[in-house]
Amino acid sequence: MPDTYFYRYDDFDRTLVAERVEQFRDQVRRRLAGELTEEQFKPLRLTNGLYLQLHAYMLRIAIPYGTLASRQLRKLAEISRKYDRGYGHFTTRQNLQLNWIRLEDAPDALAALAEVDMHAMQTSGNCIRNVTADHYAGAAVDEIEDPRIWCEIVRQWSTLHPEFSFLPRKFKIAITGSPNDRAAVRVHDIGLRLWKNEAGEVGFEVIVGGGLGRTPMIGKTLREFLPRDELLAYLEATLRVYNRYGRRDNLYKARIKILVHEIGAEKMREEVEAEYLSIRDSALRLPAETIEAIAHQFAPPVLPERPMISGRVEAERLSNADFALWLKSNVAPHRVKGYAIVTASLKPAGSPPGDASAAQMEGVADIADAFSQSELRVSHEQNLIFPHVAIDDLPQVYKSLAALGFAEANIGKITDIIACPGLDYCALANARSIPVAQRISTHFAGLARQHDIGDLKIKISGCINACGHHHVGHIGILGVDKNGVELYQLSLGGDVDFGKTAIGTILGPAVTADKVVEAVDSLVATYLDNRQDNERFVDTYRRLGAKPFKERVYAAV
Amino acid sequence: MAKNLSGDLQVASANRLADGIVVWLDDAGQWTDRLEHAAIARDPRSAEILLERARAESFTVVEPYLVAVAEDEQGALEPLSLREKIRASGLTFEAIAAEAVRYA
Amino acid sequence: MPLFSEAGLPASYVPLSFSDWQQRPEWPAVSLANTDPVEDLAPHVGRLRLIVLNFPKFSDGRAYSQARLLRGRMGYRGELRATGGVLIDQIPFMLRCGFDSFESEQKGFEEALAKARTLFSVVYQPTEDGRIPASRLRLDHTVAPTP
Repeated sequence: MPDTYFYRYDDFDRTLVAERVEQFRDQVRRRLAGELTEEQFKPLRLTNGLYLQLHAYMLRIAIPYGTLASRQLRKLAEISRKYDRGYGHFTTRQNLQLNWIRLEDAPDALAALAEVDMHAMQTSGNCIRNVTADHYAGAAVDEIEDPRIWCEIVRQWSTLHPEFSFLPRKFKIAITGSPNDRAAVRVHDIGLRLWKNEAGEVGFEVIVGGGLGRTPMIGKTLREFLPRDELLAYLEATLRVYNRYGRRDNLYKARIKILVHEIGAEKMREEVEAEYLSIRDSALRLPAETIEAIAHQFAPPVLPERPMISGRVEAERLSNADFALWLKSNVAPHRVKGYAIVTASLKPAGSPPGDASAAQMEGVADIADAFSQSELRVSHEQNLIFPHVAIDDLPQVYKSLAALGFAEANIGKITDIIACPGLDYCALANARSIPVAQRISTHFAGLARQHDIGDLKIKISGCINACGHHHVGHIGILGVDKNGVELYQLSLGGDVDFGKTAIGTILGPAVTADKVVEAVDSLVATYLDNRQDNERFVDTYRRLGAKPFKERVYAAV
Repeated sequence: MAKNLSGDLQVASANRLADGIVVWLDDAGQWTDRLEHAAIARDPRSAEILLERARAESFTVVEPYLVAVAEDEQGALEPLSLREKIRASGLTFEAIAAEAVRYA
Repeated sequence: MPLFSEAGLPASYVPLSFSDWQQRPEWPAVSLANTDPVEDLAPHVGRLRLIVLNFPKFSDGRAYSQARLLRGRMGYRGELRATGGVLIDQIPFMLRCGFDSFESEQKGFEEALAKARTLFSVVYQPTEDGRIPASRLRLDHTVAPTP
C-alpha cells in the first residue's frame, strides 16, 4: 500500500529540486558577498518564494494543488520552529507563508523542504505560479475527474520553463474537475474546467483572462472543449502569445486579462489557436502512458463502504449542540458511502485567519494519520481539510480538533473570513486586514447566531492587489490609505460559485477601522429583516439591490 | 505633545540584508535595530546628506530610504506613517506562539 | 560588450537593424528588437549566419519566445546571440531556448557559461536544446506498476 494517494516524486523530481536549492544557495552567497545587486537578486529570490516584507523575509512554500501528506505538514511545523517563529499562514493560493525567515537560512530551509519532496519554486515572480485545484479533489461526490492529475502535469511543465520565466507579470492557473467550481477558475489567468461532452469524452473548457487585483475581470472561454492530451500545447500557445504581446509598459496593465480585454477575446482566440495548431502535434502532446502513470498515482484509497448512520454520531449530536452545528457546516459528503470530508476551521473567533502554530500543525497531522489516510488539503479559503474520514469517526475527529482550537463550526459562515496578511506584514499593503478580521469574528462569535445568518462570505484585502479576494466576497472589504488613515471600502454581491461568478459592487464611502464591525452588523441586520425563505445574504442583496443595505449602514456609521 | 508633525524630521531606515530585520542608521554610520539610536536629520539639506550616507553604507542592508518621524519632549521618536510605526514596533496583534494550540 | 560563446568566439558579422536588413535581406546578419516580427525572417533563415536578439532589461523575456520560434519553428541553425540585460543567472534559460552566444558585462560570465549546462541535470520541457525531458525518460524506463 502506498503511503500517499497523490503524486510521489521520483529521482528526476528530487534531483531537480535539489539542484535548484544548490543554485539558490550559490545565488544567496553571491548576494551576501556583494556580487549581485538587490535589483539582480530580487527576481532570483522571488522565484524561490522569498519576499522581503516589513519586518523580515517571508518564505512562501508551494503546496501544489493544496494536497499535503501528514509527514509533509510535520516537516512544515519543524521548519517553522527551526527557521521561523513557530507558526505559519495558509494563503488563498493554497501556499504556506513563514514570516520571519533569515536570508542566510533560506537555502537550509529549502533543503529541509526538499527532504519531504516540497519546494518554494515559482511562488512569486513573473512566472507561472503554483497551480491550484478544488480542495475536495479526489473525494468530491460531483467530480468528473481528479484535477490534480492535470495540476501535476502543469506543475512539471511550468517548473523552470525557460521561455516563461520572465513574463510581463505573474501567471496563475487553477483547475477544477467538478461542475460546482470550488477553485475559482473564472478569476484566474487561466482557469481549466474538466467536463464530459455529448460523446462521453472528458476535456477542458479553457477560460482565459480572469483575475482580481486592480482591474477585476471574469475570464473568457477561449476553448469550449480541449482534448486532454493537447493541454500543454494549448497552454504553451497561450503563454507564448502573452509573453510576446502582453503589455510591459505599465505594471498595472501587464496581466493577461488586460491583453484579452484590449485585443478582445476573438482576436486572442485567433492568436492562440494559430500558435496552438503549429505546436499541437509536437513533443508537447501527452502520451497516454504519461497521463496514465500520473493518474495511477492519484488513485484514491480503497475505502470499504460503511454505514451512513452511526450510533456514535447520533448520540453525540443529541448531546452536543456545537457538534450538531459542526456536522452541518464543516462536514461535506464523500463519494464513498460511510465517509465524509471534514474541514478544520483555521478561523477560531478572534484569531488571524489561516494561521496555525507548529503545535497545531503537528496536531492536525496526527488527526490525519489516525482518521484520514494521512492526507490533508489546504483550501483557498485558508482552512485545512481531511478528505477521507469515516462517518463513525466524526465525534473523535471533532474532539481532537476542538483540543487544537480548530473545531469552530463556522465553515462558509460569517466568521470564516478570508484575509490577506495586510499591513502588519506586507510591504505592498495600505491598511491592516488581520485586526479587522479579528474584530468581526469576535463580534459574531456565537455559533447559533452564525448558523442563523447562514452562508456569508467576508473577504478582506489590505490593498488593491486583492490577495484577500475582496472582489468576490458576499461582503468584500478593501483597506485603503487616505492621508495616513486606514479606511475600509465595502462591496457587496461578489461570488465565485460556478456560473454565478460576480465582482462585488462598492456600497458607498469607505468607513474608518472602528466602524467596520458596525457596518457589517448593519448589513447583516438588513438581511435578517428582509430575507425570504432560505435566501442567503447574497440572494437577498441580489433581489433588493444595494439601497436598503446602504441606507442602514450609513445611518449607523 | 508631538512636534514637527509636518514630517521635517527624518531618519534613514532599511532592512538588514542577512536577516531582513528593520534597522536605522545611527550617528556613527552603523545600522542599529533601535529606533532611539537613529541619527535625525532636522532639515531638508541634512536629510539629503543622511540618505547619501545611508546609501554609502548600504552594503549590508537593502535599499535604504528616509522615514518621517516625530519627536516628543523626552526625545522619543515615532514614525509618522502607520506603515513605519508598524515597522518600528511590530505586529499590532498578538501572533500565535509555536506551542499554542488555541487562540482566543 | 564582451562576447561569450561555448564553442569559442564565432565568426564576426556586422548585424543590421531589422529595418535596414529588410532593405538588404541577402545580408547574413540581423539584430532584432524584441517587438520585431520574427516570423518575417522565415524565408531567409537558411542564409542567415547571425541573429541578435535583445533583452532591453533582463526581466523583459520576449526574446526567449523569439529564440524558440527561430530555432523550433523556422529551423534556424546559425549563431543566435543574446544581448542587453544578459546575466549569469539567465544563462540556463537562454541555452534551453537555443541561444549560443552572449554579450554581457557581468563579471564571471565565462565561468558561469562553462558550467551552465550542468546546473540542472533534469528538464521538464521539450525545447530547442535537444535535451530529453523527464516525462520522456520515464517512458523509456517504465516498469509495470506493482498492483
